[in-house]
Amino acid sequence: MSHESPLAPLGEHLAARSTAAAMRVQQEALQAARDHLRAQGFQELLPPLIGPVTDPGGRGAKALDVDFYGHRYKLMTSAILYKQASLRGFGKLFYIAPNVRVEPAETAGTGRHLVEFHQIDVEVAGATRADAMALAEGLLTHVVDHMWRAVPDVLRELGRDRESFTELLAGPFDRITHTEAVERLVSVGHPQNPDGEIDWEGEEMLSHKAERPFFVTGYPKGSRGFYDREDPDRPGELRNFDLIAHGGFGELVSGSEREADYATIVTRMRESGENPAKYKWYLDTARDGIPASAGFGMGVERLVRFLTGLDALWQVSAYPKLPGVATP
Amino acid sequence: MTTGATAAGFPEEQVRARARNGTAEAFPPAAGYGRAMFGAVPDPAAGPVDDLDAARLVPPVFMPRRLEKLIDLGREPEHTDVDLSTVVGGFRSALPVFLSAFGSTELGSRELGVAASTQAGQLGVPMVIGENMVPVHGFGGSPILARIEAYLDAVADGLGGVVVQQSTEDADSEVWNLVHSSPAAAPLLETGRLAFELKIGQGAKPGLGGMTVLDAAEATRLADRFSMHDVFGSGERLRCATPGTFTEEIVRQQIRFMRNNFPRAKVWVKFHPGRDIARAAEVAWAAGADSVTVDGAEGGTGWAPTAFLRHVGLPLAECLRRIGPPSGCLLVTGRMWEGSRVVRGLALGATAAGLGRAALLAVAEDPRAGLVRLAECLALEARLLISALGKYTATDLDPEDLWWPGTPAVERVPV
Repeated sequence: MSHESPLAPLGEHLAARSTAAAMRVQQEALQAARDHLRAQGFQELLPPLIGPVTDPGGRGAKALDVDFYGHRYKLMTSAILYKQASLRGFGKLFYIAPNVRVEPAETAGTGRHLVEFHQIDVEVAGATRADAMALAEGLLTHVVDHMWRAVPDVLRELGRDRESFTELLAGPFDRITHTEAVERLVSVGHPQNPDGEIDWEGEEMLSHKAERPFFVTGYPKGSRGFYDREDPDRPGELRNFDLIAHGGFGELVSGSEREADYATIVTRMRESGENPAKYKWYLDTARDGIPASAGFGMGVERLVRFLTGLDALWQVSAYPKLPGVATP
Repeated sequence: MTTGATAAGFPEEQVRARARNGTAEAFPPAAGYGRAMFGAVPDPAAGPVDDLDAARLVPPVFMPRRLEKLIDLGREPEHTDVDLSTVVGGFRSALPVFLSAFGSTELGSRELGVAASTQAGQLGVPMVIGENMVPVHGFGGSPILARIEAYLDAVADGLGGVVVQQSTEDADSEVWNLVHSSPAAAPLLETGRLAFELKIGQGAKPGLGGMTVLDAAEATRLADRFSMHDVFGSGERLRCATPGTFTEEIVRQQIRFMRNNFPRAKVWVKFHPGRDIARAAEVAWAAGADSVTVDGAEGGTGWAPTAFLRHVGLPLAECLRRIGPPSGCLLVTGRMWEGSRVVRGLALGATAAGLGRAALLAVAEDPRAGLVRLAECLALEARLLISALGKYTATDLDPEDLWWPGTPAVERVPV
């Protein structure tokens, strides 16, 4: 299936002035993120690209199969399972990880989905959700601050205004629970399933209303992967969070405390309809012991879109692939 | 070698057969695989097949609902005034029936499945496509797409729907995702006529997963996807899919995952006739299932050990008694083929009944119109029976319309 493409031919896209500006911003953002994390003692690893399993994902996104010497392998939708395993040798680690998710074709028009994208993927042994949220807030604040020091002219040329980031830089970010987010949306006549994800439209509405980025915490089980830890004090609720940018730019970060208990991981796999046998290497590692941890993934293209103020993610990717659109 | 030992009154022949053939005797003859259908083996000497068949439909003398219909129509109502159309698991259906899953059994998966799909579409009733086809045939090679296309070619706008099952092994192949993103299924998704069914069990072998018999070459090909067992003492292998592990929380969360990941698809859940069926159905409805199917112990087109066919699982009538008045859409399957059993199931709370073996036999009899004729006959019977009860919609039926031999009459109220 190939939908009509909003993309210019790749050669034109690569030659466009806005693409060059976006790449300049991306380069600075990645450098700032690396500097910030390394200053805090993080080890950067290069992530795996394929494996026998990957993050099962959700919302109808598929993993791509790879024939690996006769074994059916997957391209990484995220390297979360490897991040957890790596904690055994690296207590504070991060990747700048490429991911591939075959998103439903109808997400092509959200401006927020690319099939190929990257994450600043962070994990910390022994950390709590609060620690991971503080780390994400610190990282975003540092990157924004760096951008306005390093490439203010580029941002201004793209139409960005430092005023839009004043509240962000002043901090702290706001926090609401998933339940409160659902209530807010329902109260303005936008129905939400209290047991599921906040839909794209609802998230954008919340994002437009905000003056600075805010966290949404405690998504329900059934909306996220088996590796997000269930709150022992609030069954059915996960100790996870999203960080939503203001100004309609939506989700930048998804994170959580992780489940590290072997039996709980197996049970949670069943609850999400997964076949535990598929995850043998990961479960063997978990049985041997994975440190408790918390972490997050910050979408690189989403971050750059937020920094540049460009309309769509494809504008901030050098080689964009939109869901359902066959492009080079 | 046979010795002269005898054991009168003991199942001597069966014991001797097991002594000769070992584990093969735990199953119906493997030679019948792919041609014979299974499901509970009735004992002809025992009278009615099960408790649902034992129930009699008992029209009253006084019929206030008929009076309501008379007033509505301005003339005496007839059986043709019975409206059988209903909503089955979120889909509008012309009749209170649907086409059950046939599974990957050789019998159910090929030309007959496509013929049945066309006719289910013509009838305007929902159709369920069974599990374990993608791991066996691959998505492109599976009959799923051909069946969806055949159904869509035949069904009228706004009627019916297609339901796709996914077993544990299917989940590895991401069947729902494949269907969901397939252009062939887009017309269903766009018109709200696609559902996914979480298959938790089946009537023919409660507590077990799907089973088929494979020749040696096929068994080798599929060995990495299913477990294979040498039980027949021949080159054939028993292919076992796992039943999957379920607790209340696993069922609840899997349903929520389905709703979260496929918000535009309906969610169906199919249970085997477990002793905790009432609780299971409640959990599914509370988690947001659009329908719950109970496959009675009489059900199943697939391969099953004879011990399961004869001795395992609650009969459908007992499942319905345990569930009581359902708090969501309840569907029933198991030995459904004619109007009276369907109407009795509806009287016990079901919204519709699934045709499995009957549908396969009907399309085998006439691939062009066998199922349509079978359903027309069933519908005529249902209209006659429901009108005889003084009712004109299937939803008006209730347990009062049934009587079981041995049940005392209700106390007489003085006139």
